[in-house]
Amino acid sequence: MRLPLLLASAAVLAAQPVTFLRDVAPILNKAGCTSGPCHGAAKGKNGFKLSLRGYDPQFDYEALLYDLSGRRFNRAEPARSLMLAKPSQEIAHGGGLRFEKDSAYYKTIYNWIAQGVPYGDRAKDTVTAIEVTPREINMPKPGESAQVNVIAKFADGATRDVTKEATVESNVPDVAKVDVAAKVSGERIGEATLLVRYQGKYSTVPVTILNPKPGFAWKPLPQNNYVDTHIDAKLQKLKIQPSPATDDASFLRRVTLDLTGQTPSPDEVRAFLADATSQKLKRAKVIDKLIARPSFTDYWTMKWGDLLQTNRKFLGEKGTYAFREWIRESIAANKPMDKIVRELLTSSGSSYEAPASNYFRVTRDAKATMEKTTQVFLGVRMVCAQCHDHPFERWTQNQYFQMSAFFSAVGVRPGYEIGEEIVFDQRRDYEMKHPKDSRVVAPEFLIASTAPVKIPNDPRRRDALADWMTSKQNPFFAKSIVNRIWSYFLGKGIIDPVDDIRASNPPVNPALLDALTKDFIDHNFDLQHLIRTIANSRTYQASFTTNEWNEGDAENFSHAMPRRLTAEQLMDAVASAAGARPAFPEVPVDTAATQLPDPHVGKDGFLDLFGRPTRETACECERRADFSLPQALNLVNGKTISDAVADPKGRVAKLVLGGKADSAIVDDLYLASYARLPNKDEAARGAKYLSGGPKTQRAQDLLWALLNSKGFLYSY
Amino acid sequence: MKRWIFLLATGTLAAQPGYFRDIRPILQKQCQGCHQPANKMSDLDVTTFDAFKKGGKRGTAIATVVKYLTGETQPRMPLGSPELPAADIAKFREWIAAGAKDDSPVETSSSQPIVYLQPPVITALRWSPDGSQLAVNGNREVIVHSSDGKRILHRLAGKAERILSISYSPKGDLLAAGGGTPAQFGEVQLWDPRSGKFLRSATLTNDTVFGAAVSPDGSRVSVGAADNTVHMIDTATGKELFKNSNHEGWVLGTVFGIDSKRFVTVSRDRAAKLTDSNTGAFLENVNLLRGELTAIARHPKKDVVAIGTEDRYAFVYMMDRPRNMKIADDTTLIHKIDRQDGAITSMDWSSDGSRIAIAGLSPVVNLYNADTGKLASQCKGHSAGIYSVAFSPDGKQLATGGFDGMVRVYSAATCQLQLTFSPVPLSHGNPTGAGQ
Repeated sequence: MRLPLLLASAAVLAAQPVTFLRDVAPILNKAGCTSGPCHGAAKGKNGFKLSLRGYDPQFDYEALLYDLSGRRFNRAEPARSLMLAKPSQEIAHGGGLRFEKDSAYYKTIYNWIAQGVPYGDRAKDTVTAIEVTPREINMPKPGESAQVNVIAKFADGATRDVTKEATVESNVPDVAKVDVAAKVSGERIGEATLLVRYQGKYSTVPVTILNPKPGFAWKPLPQNNYVDTHIDAKLQKLKIQPSPATDDASFLRRVTLDLTGQTPSPDEVRAFLADATSQKLKRAKVIDKLIARPSFTDYWTMKWGDLLQTNRKFLGEKGTYAFREWIRESIAANKPMDKIVRELLTSSGSSYEAPASNYFRVTRDAKATMEKTTQVFLGVRMVCAQCHDHPFERWTQNQYFQMSAFFSAVGVRPGYEIGEEIVFDQRRDYEMKHPKDSRVVAPEFLIASTAPVKIPNDPRRRDALADWMTSKQNPFFAKSIVNRIWSYFLGKGIIDPVDDIRASNPPVNPALLDALTKDFIDHNFDLQHLIRTIANSRTYQASFTTNEWNEGDAENFSHAMPRRLTAEQLMDAVASAAGARPAFPEVPVDTAATQLPDPHVGKDGFLDLFGRPTRETACECERRADFSLPQALNLVNGKTISDAVADPKGRVAKLVLGGKADSAIVDDLYLASYARLPNKDEAARGAKYLSGGPKTQRAQDLLWALLNSKGFLYSY
Repeated sequence: MKRWIFLLATGTLAAQPGYFRDIRPILQKQCQGCHQPANKMSDLDVTTFDAFKKGGKRGTAIATVVKYLTGETQPRMPLGSPELPAADIAKFREWIAAGAKDDSPVETSSSQPIVYLQPPVITALRWSPDGSQLAVNGNREVIVHSSDGKRILHRLAGKAERILSISYSPKGDLLAAGGGTPAQFGEVQLWDPRSGKFLRSATLTNDTVFGAAVSPDGSRVSVGAADNTVHMIDTATGKELFKNSNHEGWVLGTVFGIDSKRFVTVSRDRAAKLTDSNTGAFLENVNLLRGELTAIARHPKKDVVAIGTEDRYAFVYMMDRPRNMKIADDTTLIHKIDRQDGAITSMDWSSDGSRIAIAGLSPVVNLYNADTGKLASQCKGHSAGIYSVAFSPDGKQLATGGFDGMVRVYSAATCQLQLTFSPVPLSHGNPTGAGQ
């Protein structure tokens, strides 16, 4: 019985050679063997370990064939191989049925074993590219479907349809769903991106599912600058009508918060509303005025302080202040972004006298410094690649160490003063070693730049990295900065999360991102120019009120998205509304929350409750914008608000003691908390309430109620 | 007439679901991943009819299976997967209604030797004590060659698919072969190597067994297992004398002391444990824990053992560790041997005690001077990993086998390759074996 079967299969084989690289490894990935919860886990499963998603075929080959004296295959009797009997459930397999005994996968693996388990030739059997069709998918309405086809090209020039073996995933499955056969079905109106993976090669396919509702007629709105042009182009294509610019009062509150972290004073609101200049002009004027304020410098110093982790836990108190002051001066001088980054990356010397060098005291290890540098200034997360090739990107483990090698010579030693440290370049034994075999890894850029930079073979190789990073040709640097700054104004990056730029996480509006990037480069990395451009756009200034065509849109910036005030904004807004600033320990009285040097000050208090970043990592995700029950209770009952409202020198006290009329008190409290005048109904009800009892008590109550409402807690 | 019978037969079959044809495949595909000997959820094993019928801690399977499949009893099975098609559940119902009989055909173990198109991986080879035989594993068999590799003396075909260790009794009247079928069962076979006669076998555990060793007095065989247990088999009866579970990882090698009264086992848990051969009682740890242990060999005349690790180091230890020694005291370590180029899989000690051979996933066997622990010579010729190495009893030759399926015999003195042959009769195909 056995003999004819083997002979028959041998005949099939002669015609069709099977290799591990070309034929078997893709099956292990598609059948799920190499997935994270299964044998791809760091410790493998049930004593059998494969590389995660098959990134290391050589390792997988050895695991399958060499472990425990070749336990998993049987060359003499291929059908009895454990690697066939387990996944087909002939022998009990904890991972369940992966393929049937009569499936093509089973036959391929069978033939491969019968052919003597050849590994294949790297120079021939490696996949060099995948070609995915169609390039994009557009559906006029939900409920339609489309087939994705994947063709692999091999190093020897051969091509093969690998649609079945490729992994096709949707980043928004409730918009576009993909089944195992790579058929895409449109579930609801919106956009999604398909990530297609096959043997370490990636491609993406954008999917758009349009709104089939009849009657859409594009109503053009005024466009303030190129931002609006690109936004409108996309919206029109998607049949989304954007919301017009919001009213002046809402705009002033929003822009003051976003530029300075503060809320406008009642006088500022009144003056702005009274200004009869054209809307576009007076808004541009106030943007310039706000950018020129010291509070702008404070606020953006705080934001960069988050990313650069100004934190005394790493830097000590004096180091923290020194580093923060360096950031402050850079922001105040509007130092171009490339210069800031160059100064950080090439810094050395005393942490007190050359404060930029504190950059290397936060992350004292070359690998951690590299991870931080790429995440903050390139928007690229390399951390996965430390242990294995990045599962959703082209980054390999080798590249992780090549990039880290730029920082391997950086040393930190004690200085002369207490707490001082000196950052220096080590002259010996500084090479980066690969963890697998301890070989020296030479520094190499993540991707080649179109403006070639030579890497010196000496400890100052980080100078070359600074050249490469800040080059106008660097495809990540300007783009990631622009994207990050955009997210501060619109609540979301054009690529989101902002510090996770990768092929599988494409921009929602590539044309806009490209235009902003180009403009930023053309203006020599001028942050204020970038900020001004965004703030002046109608897109930024849009109302949060939606219409029937954009109510479902949360991706394309067709209307404003209300955002909860951040911890520091909220605290300063309370202080300004109540006219009384809570005092922080260890800093001068009247220090604003946005001026604090680091998270040590006011630790575990109101600010941390509302999600102030701990500055433990350089991740944008440290800042929380959630809303929780403890937060609500704190607002209702907590000391911060009740003390501020009842402060004997505060706004309410002054208004009441000043003998203001009830209606004037109501106006002022609305202006102070909502940055707008009360409407008729609000004014009448407010005045009635104030007249109904002890004035001070009642005015405090009104302010307390305002501070506990969404009109105060949100920016909109 | 014929046609009519055929119709009748299929009609009957369709009407009456059978265990072998209908029920067993569903259990295999849908249930046995979680309900198997190695992972007995709810104490249920569905991989054999008897175990399935017996059921688990929720009752007999016959009484509960339909309720679980329909969801009448929660959680519905198969857990986390879609409900079975109604037609499949109906099969269970009808089969139970008809008495839940086992209609499996009697297992036909093929007695005819397998035809080889390719050589299997060599996992075990040993010389007979008189030097006349070289026993090598085949597929489902041990093949006993004349020591010159020119003739096959016996083919010892058995149940186990893989033979992972071979051990002769010092008198040469007994050959023990340990192995089994992966993820199914382990087996120790006992043969008379002079006549090729099967004596008896013992079936143990749910996976292959490793490192079978016959005691110097020939009375017993020790083996390690994948369920972390160690077993002692009486050679006269094939009965298990004891088993113990002192290890916390797969036990890959065993060796007896000179007097047969104690033996040492090595495991992936990094420990080499000295155990009493009569009672199975743990005596002492032999080593300080370093890497996972994969191989062991004993000095021919002294209670000194060489142990090899997954992370490529080998150590020579005194077998006994004085009881008053403190933890972390390593004074019984005699040599630490250089790092090898691949994980160590097999070791042997020459009969005069002068050489230790170390083989592993690198294609080279390294020979060490046992007195100094220094490298003496290197035997090359393999194209891939080596899984078994053995000195001839006179110490003049060294036999090796591994991934490429070919036996190689070297001069132990010069490492000159003297002989290369396929241990199995290849009927067709690739005579040089299957390399990469």
